[in-house]
Amino acid sequence: MIDGIQFNSLSEFLAMGGYAFNVWSVYALFAIFLVANLALPLRKRRLILRDQKRRLAALDAREDSARDPADSAGWEVSMAGDEK
Amino acid sequence: MSGRWQWFHRLGSPKWFYEKTTRWLPWLVGAMALFLAVGIVWALLFLPPDYQQGHTSRILVVHVAVAGTSLSFFPLMAVAGTVTLVWRIKLADMVAKNAAPLGAWFTFLTLATGSIWGSVSWGTWWEWTDSRLVSMLFQLFLLLGVISLRTAIENAETAARACALLSIVGCINVVIIKYSVDWWNTLHQPSSPISMEVGSPNGPEFWVATAVMIVAVYLFLAVSLILTTRNEILQREDKAQWVRELVAQAR
Amino acid sequence: MNRAGAGAAFRATLKRDLLISVKRRNDILNPFMFFVIVVSLFPIGISPESAMLRQIAAGVIWIAVLLASMLSMDSLYRSDYEDGSLEQLLLSSQPLYLLVFAKNIAHWLVSGLPVILVSPLLAYMLALPAEGYVTLVLSLLLGTPVVGMLGSIAVALTVGLGSRGLILAVITVPMSVPVLIFGTLAVQNSLAGGSPLGYLALLGAMLAAAVSLAPVATAAALRISLN
Repeated sequence: MIDGIQFNSLSEFLAMGGYAFNVWSVYALFAIFLVANLALPLRKRRLILRDQKRRLAALDAREDSARDPADSAGWEVSMAGDEK
Repeated sequence: MSGRWQWFHRLGSPKWFYEKTTRWLPWLVGAMALFLAVGIVWALLFLPPDYQQGHTSRILVVHVAVAGTSLSFFPLMAVAGTVTLVWRIKLADMVAKNAAPLGAWFTFLTLATGSIWGSVSWGTWWEWTDSRLVSMLFQLFLLLGVISLRTAIENAETAARACALLSIVGCINVVIIKYSVDWWNTLHQPSSPISMEVGSPNGPEFWVATAVMIVAVYLFLAVSLILTTRNEILQREDKAQWVRELVAQAR
Repeated sequence: MNRAGAGAAFRATLKRDLLISVKRRNDILNPFMFFVIVVSLFPIGISPESAMLRQIAAGVIWIAVLLASMLSMDSLYRSDYEDGSLEQLLLSSQPLYLLVFAKNIAHWLVSGLPVILVSPLLAYMLALPAEGYVTLVLSLLLGTPVVGMLGSIAVALTVGLGSRGLILAVITVPMSVPVLIFGTLAVQNSLAGGSPLGYLALLGAMLAAAVSLAPVATAAALRISLN
């Protein structure tokens, strides 16, 4: 046992002197709060980067087809629609 | 523009902010993880149980840290709002826009942890005679007002300036609400002599643990706000060359 | 832009708004009726016993007044926005602060004052003890303009929006809390035999602060909304 720990056993730690529900629900809420406010922005960042990459690729493809009109006229129409 | 103000406008440049935070983020995340780990382990394992409140003082470490930090949102948004209105710096609004929902999360968590603590200490989940909880409730309403104003106005520029003004007015109001609710509370003392002072019987160990947790929560605020602001920059500046290059390099 | 011109513009705006309200009587009648209806629901919902009603009378009247003023606020700049006269106001060479202030006064005279005038009658129906009436009316006279001017900021921020929904309430309710606290405390204090002057002075201070600052914020909000 490390000196200074206030509990003698794991079950005592989990019981929190009879306040298990209160103590653990607060720490659970705190954990959800921390994880959510870090994970959600990171997830959104991935989505933003993916969307913009796709958009840039579409833009490039359009520039390519503009340089070479024979490439495929159908593409051009659908890309113009995407831009709106 | 005189040279004295150059740093100010450079600070307001989204590109500058994005590049700086790319360098800062690892350090901030590291410090946040360190302080969170120390704070949580200390609060859960090493903090001596309070002679009156027993192990529920472990709740207070989290509650006090989150509550204290949530008070900084309106001042933060008011300062950002002033910068938006006076200097029209886009970055200030990007920060303010993302601060409002984060502040609502903080305020909600303050209310939730406060009422969980109160269910032991007061024997009830909600206590109108605790002026801190009551002012927090109205701070939550005001934050929801700012958020709903932002979503209701379609034009981004108008929304930015409207929310900036509302944040300044709201900041003044939060202070007035806090003092008047305190006043109101002293005249409606509870009939049962329960200890209303948060942390009053706690010794220095409690306050050191809480101080560590406060630093941890502030670092978390900074990290989360920087992450959402960077997302905002990527979205709003998507026509800028440097963002395109960045997107092209991303996996 | 001389002083007389500003004064004339102030009076003209006040007169114009009052005339329009008199022509559209619903703006006066609706908040008034709403107030009476809300108050009459409390004895039915809580208790018809005068011992109970006496305790809640001041709070019920104050809350009903706040709700009624929130209802009336919706019409504050709406018709002016729709017929374009709000933009004319912004283009005027006169200080916008004065014009906004005139509109606030007109709105309070039309929607706030009638409610205050009928409040003693409703307070009587709620069995408010005799010591409370003067304080109640005084606190309402000092407090409702504050609520109106704070609400005016929220209305100005949302004036161009099709549906405001809850925004007005979510913004205005927290801002009215201090007024509600000191208004009801004043009445309760005089019922308890104390002097309400301290609370009335605080309400007066809030009114002074609101008069000097709120129209500035409303003017800024109007410029933002109509840019």
